[in-house]
Amino acid sequence: MFLSSLVQKAQAFIDPSLATLTPGSDRKPSKATLFRHQFRLPDSQNPLYEVTAEFTLSSNHTVRPNVTQGEKGRDKVQGTHHVGKLHLSEQYLCFSTQGSSFLDSASTSASSSFTGQTHGAGPAGNGFTLPLCAIRRVERLHTTSNDGSSGTQKLTIELAGSRQQCERFCDGLKKGLREGVKEVENLRAVVSECYSEYLLDPSRTKEAAGKAKGKTREPPDAGLDNGRNATLIREPTFHKLIRVGLPNRLRGEMWELTSGSFYIRLQQPKMYTETLAKFQGRESLAIDEIEKDLNRSLPEYPGFQSEEGIGRLRRVLTAYSWTNEEVGYCQAMNIVVAALLIYLSESQAFFLLSVLCDRLLPGYYSQTMYGTLLDQKVFESLVEKTMPILWNHLVKSDVQLSVVSLPWFLSLYINSMPLIFAFRVLDVFFLEGPKVLFQIGLAILRINGEELLDATDDGAFISILKSYFARLDESAHPKSEIEKLRAVTRFQELMVVAFKEFSGITQNTISEQRAKHKDAVLDSIESFAKRTSIRNLGPDSKRLSTNDLGFLYDRFYGTLYERQQRLQMIQEEAERQRKAAGRRATEIVTGVPGNGPEMGRVGLGPSPTQMDYDAFREFLAGIAKWAVTDSPSSPPKDPIAEKQNHSYLSSSTRSRSASLSPWGSGPEPADHEFMRRLFRRWDTDMNSSLSLQNVVTGLAHVKGTRDIMSSISYFFELYDDDGDGRVDREGILRISEALLFLSRRGLEGASSPSRSMSTLAESGTITSEQDDKDETRDEQFLSSVSAFIRRCFEYADPDHPMNQGSKQDEEEPVTSNADALDAFSIGDDEDDEEDLLDFDNKPASPATKKASINAPDTPASPTPQAVDSANGSLTFGQTQSKKDAKSANLALDPSNPLHITLPTFRMVILADEMLENFFDSAFSNSFRLSSAPSPSSAVSVTPTLTTFANAGSRTSIPAVSPGGPGAGVVPPGKGIRGMLDNIVTDGMRVAVEVRRRMDEAQKELDRTASTRGTEDEEDDDDDQYAGRASGAYGGEAERRSVREGDRDLLEGAEAVDVGAGKERAERLLDLDAPITEEPIAEDGAGAGKGSERTASVETKKSMVFER
Amino acid sequence: MADSTGAAAPKPSSSVKLVLLGEAAVGKSSLVLRFVNNDFQENKEPTIGAAFLTQKCSLPTRTIKFEIWDTAGQERFASLAPMYYRNAQSALVVYDLTKLSSLTKAKHWVAELQRQASPGIVIALVGNKLDLCSSDSSSGDEGTGLEEEEEEEEEEEESETAGPGAAADGDARKVGTREAKAYADEESLLFFETSAKTGTNVSEVFTAIANAIPETSLKGARGASGAQTALGATQDQSRVNLTGPRGEAGAKEGCAC
Repeated sequence: MFLSSLVQKAQAFIDPSLATLTPGSDRKPSKATLFRHQFRLPDSQNPLYEVTAEFTLSSNHTVRPNVTQGEKGRDKVQGTHHVGKLHLSEQYLCFSTQGSSFLDSASTSASSSFTGQTHGAGPAGNGFTLPLCAIRRVERLHTTSNDGSSGTQKLTIELAGSRQQCERFCDGLKKGLREGVKEVENLRAVVSECYSEYLLDPSRTKEAAGKAKGKTREPPDAGLDNGRNATLIREPTFHKLIRVGLPNRLRGEMWELTSGSFYIRLQQPKMYTETLAKFQGRESLAIDEIEKDLNRSLPEYPGFQSEEGIGRLRRVLTAYSWTNEEVGYCQAMNIVVAALLIYLSESQAFFLLSVLCDRLLPGYYSQTMYGTLLDQKVFESLVEKTMPILWNHLVKSDVQLSVVSLPWFLSLYINSMPLIFAFRVLDVFFLEGPKVLFQIGLAILRINGEELLDATDDGAFISILKSYFARLDESAHPKSEIEKLRAVTRFQELMVVAFKEFSGITQNTISEQRAKHKDAVLDSIESFAKRTSIRNLGPDSKRLSTNDLGFLYDRFYGTLYERQQRLQMIQEEAERQRKAAGRRATEIVTGVPGNGPEMGRVGLGPSPTQMDYDAFREFLAGIAKWAVTDSPSSPPKDPIAEKQNHSYLSSSTRSRSASLSPWGSGPEPADHEFMRRLFRRWDTDMNSSLSLQNVVTGLAHVKGTRDIMSSISYFFELYDDDGDGRVDREGILRISEALLFLSRRGLEGASSPSRSMSTLAESGTITSEQDDKDETRDEQFLSSVSAFIRRCFEYADPDHPMNQGSKQDEEEPVTSNADALDAFSIGDDEDDEEDLLDFDNKPASPATKKASINAPDTPASPTPQAVDSANGSLTFGQTQSKKDAKSANLALDPSNPLHITLPTFRMVILADEMLENFFDSAFSNSFRLSSAPSPSSAVSVTPTLTTFANAGSRTSIPAVSPGGPGAGVVPPGKGIRGMLDNIVTDGMRVAVEVRRRMDEAQKELDRTASTRGTEDEEDDDDDQYAGRASGAYGGEAERRSVREGDRDLLEGAEAVDVGAGKERAERLLDLDAPITEEPIAEDGAGAGKGSERTASVETKKSMVFER
Repeated sequence: MADSTGAAAPKPSSSVKLVLLGEAAVGKSSLVLRFVNNDFQENKEPTIGAAFLTQKCSLPTRTIKFEIWDTAGQERFASLAPMYYRNAQSALVVYDLTKLSSLTKAKHWVAELQRQASPGIVIALVGNKLDLCSSDSSSGDEGTGLEEEEEEEEEEEESETAGPGAAADGDARKVGTREAKAYADEESLLFFETSAKTGTNVSEVFTAIANAIPETSLKGARGASGAQTALGATQDQSRVNLTGPRGEAGAKEGCAC
């Protein structure tokens, strides 16, 4: 899952020499990549020109004259000649005797057939890699020969090709040289850190040369005479000399040059200091880890016990951890860097470490260390191949080889061998690449083979090797007669065995083996990561089953991974389109910035572990059916709908093709305030994103608790924004909205059997009694929610008791009131008549409700009076005067803030069977984990709240009131699902409308005549307008017109219902006071008299809603 | 300290694989170094992959040769751990008394071992760096039913509330004894607080583990003598704290090392 992104990454990085570095291209590495690897050049370089050439190096080292025409002939005679290919890239002139071609026109076979020690993974053959800026002068000697003179050194290159070819090359060179002039300063700065400059400083040349000569035999001379640092020439003896060992003084810069880190440093000479400055003072996990190990890096080396040495180490490690946060810091890097710092400056070490981690040892130090694990597998398989007897012995005695060999690879033998020998290994390693580590490892086992065959457990195995490493400086053949043989040290023997006996181990061998074992290694890392991750989720996770956790883990990382993949596809698509259609480029380009947040997520790394809100929605849509949107994005042709549905994806081009939909093939998630609240609630770290831990903890609280009380509290807290234990009017409405939202696809806990699709489809009216009952259950929930709102307001505590005038109960301390409510015994200490009445009614209330619910079957049976009495004090609504309203019930007066407390909330919930049921099980059941079938498939057949079997009525759209289109009309072709969705939408709209009404009432207080704030319901606005026009009574009339609007809204809902279930619709909407309805046609655009006539009734209705 | 010279007569000898796990820089390697070489290094190189050492521990009835796998602590090395705890009969899960997060990590390791390692593995939870804690803050817990003969640093101090963040004044301790002990009891782990620097309790840990290894799981161990002479703590390892559930309580013997 989340590690599968690693697979991808691994493909790209595990084998840089063979795998592609640029996504999107095919598996074959590009020629440019091969070229860069061959010459160890930075990624910015591409092969531009190449030409066959003969390269002559002047062997005259005592005299370093400027090149003149006259001398040329002599040079040619005296120098060494090499025939090979001369390559020109943007900033480099490279020559190699190794026949290879990197031009795009060249055939693939030519470019990938490497020989020599590095097999294309490093500089092989003789030649040079010259930064163009290091070339001081180029003279043309003949028409066919080029002569570059750099500093005190002179190269003669004879181009052998067609004249045209040569001219082109020379032109390219000229251009490159001109560009290169800008780089000269960089070069000077970079080179100044090389010890050879100091060594060659004229003032101390003699002394230095003498010293160097005395200490070691050939290397310093050969190296210096063949150019220094940037202008180093690889002579035939070069590779041999490296194996013999580098002189300490030049070791650092030779490492830089052979590994190619020099060229990267040349490219960004200030990067190291800039990185340090940029992140100065910042903290990170990596830095903590680094601090732990600073004191314990090569502790036996006194340089790293001083503050200065530790400071250098700290800076290099820290800088790298910032430039590659994905790797950060891994133990063993401290040891490697400490070793490097013995020979290199900080900035040199920094770049060498970069090359080491990115190119030479990909994945070794990464978070999962997959590179290390993979190479252990490779090593084991090589042992099996080359030393089958030893391997069988290991298998038989159950010795795990990697236990021994892993530290060798991870710390490049630095903490296994004595330092001086480890450096010798490094010398070769930087030139010839990672295969050296394998060769040395195999040689160690081969040399100790006899003894190892006697070892039968890990312990013995390890101690044999330990003692071997301790005696590397001893003679390999101490008893030999021949003195020369006695002089051979064990280390020399090791080198010989490694590079002679195992010369067959090439970079290609390693690459093949890596490819072979990659999947298995990544699989095992993946399963380990999953296991660990799930186990470490903390105590909360124990509330969920292991299966559930596994499911969550997969779903979580699956969502993230898929989103990332999709984003990538989308970007590639955009890229492609931009290329394809140049004229539309601007459109796309401007679309991209709008996509910023998503781009940022990709930037988190190949395996993001944090989920943002959109990802969270998608995640939820996979586990809870209510999180699937009701209005999936319309066909892409409809730009408006598209905009609405993915406003965050503003570029319409992006979602044009189905595969590029922002939600992929999965169900499109809804976006509801409840989900946002849930997100915020689970986001305990307050960083606007969720980790797996957050999600599991969050779900554990929802699903893990079967306790209804805690479930209620949880819900309450979701809406208690400021955490003061109160939810205000706004919150109450939001809660009810959320309840409707959650239940709109039916509730599993609410044992209502699934209504069959067919029944629903064929029935123009409600046909079966069975259906009737089922539907009733669903409707019941709606009515429960409605009742919930009502009760909430009823029992709400006013925020400012002093403002409430004469009411006695309002003087009550909130807490005692609440407690009392909780205990259902408030009546005992309440004198207020209204309250008493309420509480008397309380036990009867479900029954009452039932009656009212059943009422529509016999229209008008409960009289308004009956309803009034049933609902106690709730009949205040029709009073239009603000003052009256206030005196009747302050709850509805927007000028009087109110709130409910948790105990109140609890009581209100428990008072209703449906809600109780919801909180008891349905809510937590709505999150389906492991065993769940895909919720998306369940959606279409789930029983919903719809009660009207109005498949037929869809044809009667023309009859629908203007308030309808947005609300109740079922767009043709959307089918039952759409219809059901609409019903639910209506329910939610009611809640929305109610709240809006509140706002309006508030505004009305200010007597502002035309204040409407509906954004999305234009039709409704129209009605309002009409009502207002006809009413023209000023404020009061307006208020009524508002009500009319409300009624229109309701009618809108009912409109669907024309044929059969008008009353049922009312029931659905929880009209406690069922009323005889005027024909729907009446509330057309005109509204007028009819509306007026029914105004009071309507008002009452709407007030009921308000409650 | 533990060393192999303790026993004169040849006793049945068997080897026990022991793995050390725990967060980085809690002192795993130092504990081993103390146990194996009776030595302490202030700046010990971090372990790369794992280190392997052996040491013998002589019990009255037998000699145990510990094959100690000392693993790297950094988080990302965790995926290598299965390689090392494979077939381990015992484990030392170490945390740093002065670092609360290290106990969390230790708990993770315990959970990992209990689910992935060989069944019946003997696990000891060890809080290291006791030398950094002022002595009075290390309160032991009562109620394990074991006699506490000596007044050591694990003295009962009921009043001490050594919870997270309840470090006593000037004391680097961040993990209270009681908390860790309670956890250890709950998970049936041996529990010690040690100092690799001073050597406090180090050999006791290994002795206790040696004692807790069931005879049956010992390679090449003959049915050890039934004479359980040293029931309880005969030597001065009063802290050998075998909290029953594992069922090896009967094997409680002092260690002659």
